[in-house]
Amino acid sequence: MSVQVLGDRAGSHDRPPEAWRLKPVFDARAVILAGLAVVLLAFSAQRLDLGQMFSDVGSFILASAGLKERSDIGDGLSGLSAGMFPIVIDERTPVEFVDDLDARLAAPFARLETVATEEIALDTNTLEMSGNMGERTYLVEPAGYLLFVLLKMLETFEIAAWATLFAVAVSLPLSVLCARNYAPHVSIYGAGRTFVSFLRSVPELISALFLVLAFGFGPIPGIVALAIHSTGFLAKFFAEDIEAADPRPQEAIAVTGASRFAVLRLAVLPSVLASFTGLSLYILDRNVRMATVIGLVGAGGIGQELKGRFDMFQYDRVGTLLLVIFLTVLLLDALSARIRRRLI
Amino acid sequence: MAGGWIGKGATVDKKSDSLAQVALDAGKAGKLLSCRELVKAYGEGPPALAGVSFQMDAPGFTVLLGSSGSGKTTLLRAIAGLVPLESGEIQVAGRTMTRTNLSSVRRQLGMVHQEFALVERLTSVQNVLSGAATQVSWPRIVCQAYPEELRRRACQLLADVGLTEAQANRKARELSGGQRQRVGIARALIRKPKLFLADEPVANLDPETAAGLLTLLREAVTSRGIGVLCSLHQTDLALRYADRIIGLKAGRIVFDGAPDAFTPSVASTLFARDGAPHALTVAAA
Repeated sequence: MSVQVLGDRAGSHDRPPEAWRLKPVFDARAVILAGLAVVLLAFSAQRLDLGQMFSDVGSFILASAGLKERSDIGDGLSGLSAGMFPIVIDERTPVEFVDDLDARLAAPFARLETVATEEIALDTNTLEMSGNMGERTYLVEPAGYLLFVLLKMLETFEIAAWATLFAVAVSLPLSVLCARNYAPHVSIYGAGRTFVSFLRSVPELISALFLVLAFGFGPIPGIVALAIHSTGFLAKFFAEDIEAADPRPQEAIAVTGASRFAVLRLAVLPSVLASFTGLSLYILDRNVRMATVIGLVGAGGIGQELKGRFDMFQYDRVGTLLLVIFLTVLLLDALSARIRRRLI
Repeated sequence: MAGGWIGKGATVDKKSDSLAQVALDAGKAGKLLSCRELVKAYGEGPPALAGVSFQMDAPGFTVLLGSSGSGKTTLLRAIAGLVPLESGEIQVAGRTMTRTNLSSVRRQLGMVHQEFALVERLTSVQNVLSGAATQVSWPRIVCQAYPEELRRRACQLLADVGLTEAQANRKARELSGGQRQRVGIARALIRKPKLFLADEPVANLDPETAAGLLTLLREAVTSRGIGVLCSLHQTDLALRYADRIIGLKAGRIVFDGAPDAFTPSVASTLFARDGAPHALTVAAA
């Protein structure tokens, strides 16, 4: 076999440089694969009626530019934005529904407002519709709804933080079993990897759907669902970091007769800690975004509120919720990116 | 160069006593290190070790001399139990190394590496202390809370190899190559090994730093009564520091003797390239 290699090398030495044969940038296989991909995409586009999408978007662009009278997308969006703005900041509650009125009135800027109302009712004597003049008193809290939404956002963040914490705690030992160079046995390595990819393969939204049945509505199913999924990610990434860690310091400590545990703690962990922290922060960031979504199936947090308001057609409140989610995610993204840059 | 090796004189006698005891246990085997017919091959190429046998009976500075690819690193890594062998037997301090007693045999060894092999994000002193993991309980390892006595010892060793307090608290990645290798030596010494393996400890250093480091290493081990097996590729350094030179070529010992016997003709045989077929086969492998 080595003779074959020798022959090949000798041959290439013989050719003058102007006659060297270079590898083509795209070979026949790449061209065939690209053609195959185009055929598949065309087939799928036809199945999904993608043409409709292009025509809708096109007419929306034309309508926005004033070249077309109306478009379906434009109608939908304008209906929604008309409902959403202005967004709701304050909270008005009829006093008869407020239990602890004095305590809530003591809050800054809280006040009572009386509004004249006219209720139209059927007069049982005359059998005619008549208006009854009356008045209704409302408790007005100027930033009431915004505060409530921020509190829900905090709950969402707490769900994400606990889920991340649990995921990190489970992933640390699990990743050792899933790292090829530290698994006690190859079968444990295989089982660990399979288990971890199973955890990863269940989308949070689906597992939350079932966990809500198990735990009931509220933040707990959300925490569990997110923790399961993020464990699947973290254990995999941690394990890959452990496998990729510089082997030389590990050998240097192993040569002293130290146990695998000591090598892991003294050589592997210090080398991968920065990367672990960066990954955990990314997962936290991602979990906050996912925690808003899984609230839709009743797993607590701001998503649950969002779904409720959406179903009641209270789009102005939905607007407030979306704005808060958007700003939080933006802020967190910038923050975690900054921390991760400093770590690595 | 290094400060005095304070209070180490007394331990030397004790060491040789225990070495004599070990020799009795081992029968006809070498006292410190005995390698018999070591064979190791990587893939289909020529073997990295093609039947290497030698003994180290007493403490001293033994240099493994040879060009790149002669099998020096493989031999040292095999003695450290880092490379599984095709065949052969290694005895360290009279005990045969097997898969099961690897950890306890390794406790007799200290090793420094060509690439220093320090944990970059730990400080010098933490790196030195990590060499003593076998003497510390696991909760202490988790917290990196080493006993006071070990910490004192680590500081003393770092001072002995010529590092300052500030450098002791600096992270390994902030040190120069020479300083890193000094930390490596201190790490290998902290557990009081009987046999010290050094794999090209000065390959990545400039000539002056290299000479200073080898002087330091020689002083450090001879004053403690430790045997050193140090691989080098520089003949001049080998002649200057070695008590004994083992010449390795293509996985075989081609010279074994005192530096006086290492004549220029021996050197030229040791470092001569073989004919083209050999070199080309290596490339093909």
